[in-house]
Amino acid sequence: MEFFRSINKRILALAAMVLLVFFCVVPAGASSGGEGEDVVVKDIVLEHINDSYEWHIGKFWGKHVAIPLPVILYTKEKGLVCFSSSHLHGGHQYNGFAIAQEGDYAGKVVEILPCGSQIRPLDFSITKTVAGLLVNSAIVVLMILGAARYYRRNGKVDSQAPKGWAGLVEMLVESLVDGVIKPCVGPRYRKFAPYLLTAFTFIFVNNIMGIIPIFPAGTNITGNIAATLVLAVATFLVTNLYGTKHYWKEVLWPDVPLWLKAPLPIMPAIEIIGLFTKPFALMIRLFANIMAGHSVILILTCIVFVTVKMGAAVNASMSAVSIFLGIFMNCLELLVAFLQAYVFTMLSSVFIGMAQEGGEHH
Amino acid sequence: METLGILGATFGAALAVIGAAFGIGKIGKAAMEAIGRQPEAADKVRTTMIIVAALIEGVALFAVAVCFMAL
Amino acid sequence: MGLLQPESGLLFWMCLAFGVVLFLLCKFGFPIILRSIEERKEYIDSSLEEAGKARQETMHLKEQGRQVMEEAQAQRWKILEDTRAEQEKVAGEMRQKAQQEAAAIIENARAEAQAQKEAILRQANEHIVTLAVAVAQKMLRQQLQDTKAQAELAGRILKEMDDKQN
Repeated sequence: MEFFRSINKRILALAAMVLLVFFCVVPAGASSGGEGEDVVVKDIVLEHINDSYEWHIGKFWGKHVAIPLPVILYTKEKGLVCFSSSHLHGGHQYNGFAIAQEGDYAGKVVEILPCGSQIRPLDFSITKTVAGLLVNSAIVVLMILGAARYYRRNGKVDSQAPKGWAGLVEMLVESLVDGVIKPCVGPRYRKFAPYLLTAFTFIFVNNIMGIIPIFPAGTNITGNIAATLVLAVATFLVTNLYGTKHYWKEVLWPDVPLWLKAPLPIMPAIEIIGLFTKPFALMIRLFANIMAGHSVILILTCIVFVTVKMGAAVNASMSAVSIFLGIFMNCLELLVAFLQAYVFTMLSSVFIGMAQEGGEHH
Repeated sequence: METLGILGATFGAALAVIGAAFGIGKIGKAAMEAIGRQPEAADKVRTTMIIVAALIEGVALFAVAVCFMAL
Repeated sequence: MGLLQPESGLLFWMCLAFGVVLFLLCKFGFPIILRSIEERKEYIDSSLEEAGKARQETMHLKEQGRQVMEEAQAQRWKILEDTRAEQEKVAGEMRQKAQQEAAAIIENARAEAQAQKEAILRQANEHIVTLAVAVAQKMLRQQLQDTKAQAELAGRILKEMDDKQN
């Protein structure tokens, strides 16, 4: 208690000081006027959340450093086209392709027809998100196969418990299997455990890599609807392809009064809609949580640059606020990164468990 | 007209958030009370709490998705 | 709205990446880990069970040993007790025998002594009788010339003997 009280006092003193400086210098700062370029927070946030054709690492000594990534397109006339995105840098045209600056396809590669209109070709480019996705997938595979290699080498039952990396993976796997998968899926959990564990590891690694801001990490993957869509569809397929007869009977001919299902299939309709809403909620939840987290952290960081125009004192005090809040949000995002992977795994387990049920109704 | 749409979307999101916050708050309250009464059942209560909270959140996320579309 | 529209290229790559990851991990990754964990768990369980059994066995053996020890102790006590009783019995018997023998010897000695005493007495009596007779003969030869005196003397002697007897 004593410790907290002293901390409280210190924080109060700090806040008072900041406010004092703020009030003293605001008039001076206000009169000095702004300089430098405008910071548009929305653009910065959207630039991070949206995809791009090059991997922008940062601006060092006034130079933008970016890794150009391959653009892969398919059109009916030209077939498969593949070239470096550096050809399109700065709005240049290459081979009839360019990045649209405005319109429906703003920010995307379009084919510019001789008549001037734009068509969007089939776009399989290795964009920043795809590159990040590949990096993270490689990390996931290396992580788990590294641990599995340990087991293959020291496969004897009476050997010692694994140490180091394999031990960490084992702890994670064991806690998930015993805490989530076994109770939620039921007796046939062994069949589904690899999928659920893969989903967890994949989401978790992608979430964590999304928080880390330095180069090979820092891509927004689980905060992208396409990624979460694929994950949700995977859960949907696993749930329904392995569903038992009882489960399908519950969906198509549920145990409710006859008038709810006979002339008009009201309950079956609701159940069938429910089949799709469950993975849809999974998709939106993961996407919204991660995207919102990234946005909040970026906005908090942007406070430092937005307040530059308001004078040194405001800028300094707001920077302090920004850093404190940023640290707090990063800690929170770390928690969310784990929690969302955990929730996705748990809900997938519950859905699979429902489809595995033999007798009782949930 | 478009401004009005944006306004409506943001209001919709706000309402969805209020509803979800209320619902999840109630679940959290009930779960805390249950854990306080029966600490040995904490794991089960927590699991169920997360599942129910996820269901509510799912509905709220639908609302937010609809608002996104209106934006 | 743009954020909620999945990009086709990204979808393709995501399917590919997740599919490959899923395949690799479900084929070479997690089953091995899960199996190892399960096998180890079973091994630990069986080891624990065996250890419990072994402990019970040890306890059982200990108990048996204790019982054997106790029995041995009891036997020892019994043997000691028996020995002591035997000893006492033997000692008692010996003592009794010795006493008996001693008593017999004493008895014998006493009987012999008595017999000798009696013999001596008899001899002495005989001697005395002979002597007395001889003395009496001589005295009588000298003194008793007459019958009167003889009768007087005989009467006196008889009287004396009578007195002596009483």
